[in-house]
Amino acid sequence: MNAQRLLYRDTISKSIVWLLAVPALLIPAIVLCYIFWQAAPVLDWGFIVGTADGAGFGITDGIFAQLLGSLLLAVMACVIAAPFALGTALFYRTYASPRQQRLLTAMFNMLQGIPPIVFGLCGLVVLVNLFAWGISLISGAVVLALVVLPLLVLNTLATLERIPLDYTEAGMALGLGSGTIIWRLWLPRSWLNLLTGLLLAMARALSETAPIMFTATVFSGVVWPDSLFSPVTTLQTHIFYLAQEGNDPQVISIAWGSAAVLVLLVASLGLLARLLHKLGEH
Amino acid sequence: MVLKWWLSASALLSSMTIVVVLGFLLQSSWPLIQQQGAAFIVGTEWYPFESLYGMLPALIGTLWSVTLALLIALPCGVAAAILCAELLPQRVRSTVRFAMELMAGVPSVVYGLLGIWLLLPLLESQLNLLTGRTLLAAGLLLALMILPTIMVLSEDAIRAVRQSQREAVKCLGIGWDATLWRVLLPQAWPGIRVAALLATGRAMGETVAVMLVVGSIDRIPEPFYNFLQPAQTLTSRIGREMAEASVASLHWAALLFCGLMLAMIAAAISLLTHRKAAAV
Repeated sequence: MNAQRLLYRDTISKSIVWLLAVPALLIPAIVLCYIFWQAAPVLDWGFIVGTADGAGFGITDGIFAQLLGSLLLAVMACVIAAPFALGTALFYRTYASPRQQRLLTAMFNMLQGIPPIVFGLCGLVVLVNLFAWGISLISGAVVLALVVLPLLVLNTLATLERIPLDYTEAGMALGLGSGTIIWRLWLPRSWLNLLTGLLLAMARALSETAPIMFTATVFSGVVWPDSLFSPVTTLQTHIFYLAQEGNDPQVISIAWGSAAVLVLLVASLGLLARLLHKLGEH
Repeated sequence: MVLKWWLSASALLSSMTIVVVLGFLLQSSWPLIQQQGAAFIVGTEWYPFESLYGMLPALIGTLWSVTLALLIALPCGVAAAILCAELLPQRVRSTVRFAMELMAGVPSVVYGLLGIWLLLPLLESQLNLLTGRTLLAAGLLLALMILPTIMVLSEDAIRAVRQSQREAVKCLGIGWDATLWRVLLPQAWPGIRVAALLATGRAMGETVAVMLVVGSIDRIPEPFYNFLQPAQTLTSRIGREMAEASVASLHWAALLFCGLMLAMIAAAISLLTHRKAAAV
């Protein structure tokens, strides 16, 4: 009797878990399939490498310009953020006192929690208006660099922490300076994992829309920006604008196509990062 | 010497960013505070053309959409984590987990597209609404966005519970039910709480997806629990109006103040998260 009641309660608990969990696992999967199902009619090679010139306002065909703009912004953001992130993480490991370490950790955890749109606003005030850089590639890249900075710093710190203490102690016992320890011991050992962090940061920069909406992008008419101070078009804002064009089903299918390309791009960066991480473990 | 200089300079600069960001936001929204005092924070009317900048509608909208999202995503996410960590075989588990990690990286604008062209028509036809652009739509969309984060972090927390504890419960012969409620959930709770706080921060700061589905009407829901009405959140207001506001006007200052409030709430949440995390 008792055993039966126990079994009964087990079944109830298990069914509650299954009942709640199945939608949580299925709905994201369905959603992902839906994106690709909607995108399938427009997805082909011509769609990716085609450039729509000004006349079509990006509606006719091709998202090459947008793809280029997105990648350019993401790469520049990482290039700007990487030296600061690496420097900060190395400072944390070498010169920082325990109090400074606590302060730095708190700062970056806080910075990571700040919504990206806040950085966008700040970029609009400081870079676009105060520095008069205008809506431009460089403004967007700096804003995105701020967004990915905490991610990079925390990732680099985690990587450096995984280096066995023996290595560092052996280096110190040999009387090496901190420069030599960093260049000859830490970096050769952990560069694969540092690269992983960089790829993840790039994926993050590619998936942000709000911070670049006011600081870097225009709707159409740019294929390759003339200088650092000219605006770009990006995949993210392209989807955003097209999504609101209600009437033309062809426009919406281009939005789905762009969304699928963006998801694939971010996912492949994630996959690559995972592979590199596994390589770095061995 | 160069090395030391580089390291210290970058540490100093990058840790100053947060101060600089908050400082510039405060400085740019100062004209509004100077002119209207702090009363506008609890004002209920937002009409930029009449210089009325009540923050309450957007604050309540933000609060509601985040609460709805958490109410949906937290139970489902934790259940999925339990299923994954405890009930599914190893191979299925790692696949599901990897898929979830990928889902966590899906750009928010893609969710916005889904919201407009999948969720809104669904809501309109199922609930017989005039417009699907409601707080509920925003809540559902946010729930979908934070679900992977909650699931991945909760699964980590549940798997961190020691195997010997599970075995001890088995030896007592009191069933899986007790393992779940008496061992797994209480022990993993600090981790789950951190997951929930992080997800709250993410949901609150989400911009593009929310602004496409929330309706962007500055009104406190009537009655206040009616989430089938269009509303506004802090982020959707900034996203909708920033391009229209002229530089250095009061409207501009008010929008920047919205940003400042977002940043301060986010900072408070992150302090809470990491104090809890440190206490564990």
